[in-house]
Amino acid sequence: MAYTQGNQQNARFSVLSSSSLSSVEHLSPNSSRFSLPNTPSINTTLGTPRPNLRPNIYDRHLNKTRTAEVSASSFAYLFSEVIQYTQKRVSGINDLERRLNTLGYRVGMRVLELNVWRSESTSKAPKREIKFLPALMSIHTQVWKAVFGKPADAIEKSVENDDEYMIVDNDPPITRNISIPRDMSQLSCSSFTAGIVEAVLDGLGFPARVTAHNTPSDTHPGRTTILIKLERSVIEREELLK
Amino acid sequence: MSHHIFILSPTDTPLYSLTHYSSKPAQSAGSALSSNLPSWSTSAFAGTLTALSGASSATQHHTSAGGGVRMGGGQDRHVIQMIANASLDAIEEVMRRENVMYLKSVDKFNEWIVSAFVTAGNMKFIILHETKNDDGIKVFFNDLWELYVKTAMNPFHTAHTPIRSTVFDSRVRASAKKNL
Repeated sequence: MAYTQGNQQNARFSVLSSSSLSSVEHLSPNSSRFSLPNTPSINTTLGTPRPNLRPNIYDRHLNKTRTAEVSASSFAYLFSEVIQYTQKRVSGINDLERRLNTLGYRVGMRVLELNVWRSESTSKAPKREIKFLPALMSIHTQVWKAVFGKPADAIEKSVENDDEYMIVDNDPPITRNISIPRDMSQLSCSSFTAGIVEAVLDGLGFPARVTAHNTPSDTHPGRTTILIKLERSVIEREELLK
Repeated sequence: MSHHIFILSPTDTPLYSLTHYSSKPAQSAGSALSSNLPSWSTSAFAGTLTALSGASSATQHHTSAGGGVRMGGGQDRHVIQMIANASLDAIEEVMRRENVMYLKSVDKFNEWIVSAFVTAGNMKFIILHETKNDDGIKVFFNDLWELYVKTAMNPFHTAHTPIRSTVFDSRVRASAKKNL
């Protein structure tokens, strides 16, 4: 989630720089319509052609935030707002989970590109993952480490269905501060995580439907299972590659 | 000598394209042939041919061999795009088998060699070139990769957003000038 943080930094910087820039001559003639023409207005300063004073994303090194961490409490706050916002706009639990999944997908796309760039760009011949099991392993360790700061707790394969895999997290950091009301007990806010996993698998070429389920145990009340149901085509391809 | 660069999304929508004219002289036999051909062979589609010096050789070749049959004729912008898109089949076949990102000379069409680079998120960079230049293209693709990842970090960017940033464009051009 490093990019979110980076973006905030940028936004903060641009506000600062625009207020230091702003003087009367930078304001457009229109601003005299406002009652306080001397107040720095972000819109007018942004409109001035001074692009070299604003940082752009191509100047930032991609490893800058490699070890940076986001405050857990600010994330918890942001995530709670996300869920409240989403819940006001949906008709049921399934819909809410689907929307959280979509939000996670946007994160996952970036996590994948950024992570692979960080690990492969220095190598002579950058590699992509083309087999499913190593890809799943890298989600379990690399992706989890990048997003949550620790690897997931287990990978399981379904006994009944050969196209179902599970990633188990005993205590997902993003739902640590969430208590689900009793009448919504099916809801798992880890659908966000499921979205991340779905995006990573999709990007690597293993389209799947990924959902999150609460599977509490006595020792781990917050235990969550991310269920991956692969598309038929993936299974068939894996058979061919063997 | 020209290079044509395309960035295609996982759903094959073009996000960015660039035609780069290299100052380095073309060394392929095709251009020698085209300069030796009499002027009548090019007159039919002189406009499009002069626009694309590289593409012209193949067209002329076909015209002279096939007796005026317009094979591969009108090598315009859309023909170049068609070659790039047609190579997607070859790219997708190779990328299922091989786990490298940089796919050298994955396809060929007339004098065009198609090289590609597939990122982790299945974004495809395609380059059409006439002479072999594996190392230069590799460095160029690496630069393009870094620039693309930086673009993707923008929260307003999706996998289907065309890349219109002028900074991106100028950096790609700079890298192309240096390496191609």
